[in-house]
Amino acid sequence: MENLIEIKNLHANINGKEILKGIDLVVKPGEVHAIMGPNGSGKSTLSAVLAGKEHYEVTEGTVKFMGHDLLAMSPEERSWAGLFLGFQYPIEIPGVTNVNFMKTAVNEHRKQKGLAPLTAAEYLKLMREKLAIVEMDPAFSSRGVNVGFSGGEKKRNEIFQMAMLDPKLAILDETDSGLDVDALRIVATGVNKLKRPDNATIVITHYQRLLDYIVPDIVHVLYKGKIIKTSGKELALEVETRGYDWLIKGE
Amino acid sequence: MENNYIYIPNDPQQEEFRCRVPLKDTEQVFVVDGKGEKMGLNLGKGEILPQMLQVIAVRSRQAQEDLSYSTDYRLAERAQAKVLLCSHTLSMEDFTTHECVNVELGKGAILDMVVMQNEHNKSKHSTSFKVQMEEGAVFNLNVVTLHGGEISNEIEVNLNGKGGECNVNGLYLADGQQKVSTRVNIFHNVPECHSSQLFKGILDGESRTSFSGKIYVAKDAQKTEAYQANNNLLASRTAKAYTQPHLEIYADDVKCSHGATVGSLNEDELFYMRSRGIAKDEAKLLQQQAFAYAVLEKVANESLRERLHSLLESRLRGEFSECANCSKHCC
Ligand SMILES: Nc1ncnc2c1ncn2[C@@H]1O[C@H](COP(=O)(O)OP(=O)(O)OP(=O)(O)O)[C@@H](O)[C@H]1O
Ligand SMILES: [Mg+2]
Repeated sequence: MENLIEIKNLHANINGKEILKGIDLVVKPGEVHAIMGPNGSGKSTLSAVLAGKEHYEVTEGTVKFMGHDLLAMSPEERSWAGLFLGFQYPIEIPGVTNVNFMKTAVNEHRKQKGLAPLTAAEYLKLMREKLAIVEMDPAFSSRGVNVGFSGGEKKRNEIFQMAMLDPKLAILDETDSGLDVDALRIVATGVNKLKRPDNATIVITHYQRLLDYIVPDIVHVLYKGKIIKTSGKELALEVETRGYDWLIKGE
Repeated sequence: MENNYIYIPNDPQQEEFRCRVPLKDTEQVFVVDGKGEKMGLNLGKGEILPQMLQVIAVRSRQAQEDLSYSTDYRLAERAQAKVLLCSHTLSMEDFTTHECVNVELGKGAILDMVVMQNEHNKSKHSTSFKVQMEEGAVFNLNVVTLHGGEISNEIEVNLNGKGGECNVNGLYLADGQQKVSTRVNIFHNVPECHSSQLFKGILDGESRTSFSGKIYVAKDAQKTEAYQANNNLLASRTAKAYTQPHLEIYADDVKCSHGATVGSLNEDELFYMRSRGIAKDEAKLLQQQAFAYAVLEKVANESLRERLHSLLESRLRGEFSECANCSKHCC
């Protein structure tokens, strides 16, 4: 089957400092990949570069997303094409309600597909359906985007947005951090419900406990801007018990 | 067109103005080139205006000279009124208008006033609000400046009786070469009065705005509460917002605060929205609307508030500037 994303020799700088030093990664439809790695290894940087954040300078390499040159696209074009980033630190937007935010996003996606905007009733129905996936109270929808949300609520809101936008490739950056056991189960179950043979997920995490729920096909370890090890799901368990030292020494 | 609120006849001298989509429970009167049948208000003791009075002041090419006129709003003891003052220009002449709005509120009188300014780029309009308030009177003012060449608003409020309350708020939008200046002077002359000010500006292009707000608290005006905030959002690097708060406090038992900010669009918020597929311009628009929200929410009349939100949206989308006959997009 065709690759969803093909990252080749990706190098990226922030403020002139090289953070990504040659990343190669291929994800096919139906796959779940996990990326682990110590703090500061470049996991969030990789997701930011893929989502198109400004001020990240790609100095070398290519990224193909469903056959298109991802790096040439604006952040919104990447979203329309089917890329989704679950933020490690979701942004608060005071004054913009969740409902207005998501309605605008969903309708922009529909516009790109040549579809008419959803009516208020249609939107409400879709929203309730997707809120249920992450067991979120509809009362959240009238509040400002992430404003006053607890850490766990913010992460659930990310998965809700993912459910609303139905991406081809979701990159979930530490969606498990800050979650209590119930929230972790809810979020992980939500992600599993959204899994289909034609989409894929990259989960970035420090913990095996998430991967008990979302079972990865492939696990990568990122270290100092490079993937130093790629293996099956047993790698995550090994990292959990042995840490990263044995991998780093092998480098 | 749904937004086409007023019917403007080709020959305003011959035909009548009409409102196509009148606001609910509103009496509409027109002031054409400073002249109108009904200007201002005079309410007796305990008299309550049953409907909102909407005064639509338009400038037409029939009178191109500089105009100055004043209107009085006198509310005796316990009288109450809601007033909406709109100003528009019907053609592209370089109009200059000087206006004085005198407000006198007797004991316990309540006046809600909303001002909607929507004029073309070459128009100069200065308005001076002079307000005198007696004991327990309430004055709420919301000034929404959507469009204009050089707009200046001077607001002077004298709290002359105990327990008076005034809330003056404003939202100004400026782009291109537009200029908007706001000067507020609140005089707490007696004890136990409240005042609050919230003014917000959204600036684009090479526009210039200034805000200067003074809170004066007299020596024996104890238990005064007075707040002031001015926040500006710059959507371009070439726009400039000047802001200058003044506090002059001679009493010692008071609660006063002021704050002023000038900021630009929030990059992190923009990226977050764009990563969800909200195009850059739409994301900017959401952010600007969110910024303006706090001021428009202070407009008590719901249908008016909704109309202001939609006028704001079309303004931010730049629809006003594309329209040759500007007044047709306004309420
Ligand atoms: N704006 C920036 N300017 C300079 N350095 C930056 C900037 N943003 C990130 N970095 C650096 O880039 C490196 C990688 O950061 P990144 O956030 O990608 O790590 P991470 O793997 O996601 O870490 P964590 O597990 O803590 O989330 C770090 O050394 C960080 O300090
Ligand atoms: Mg990170």
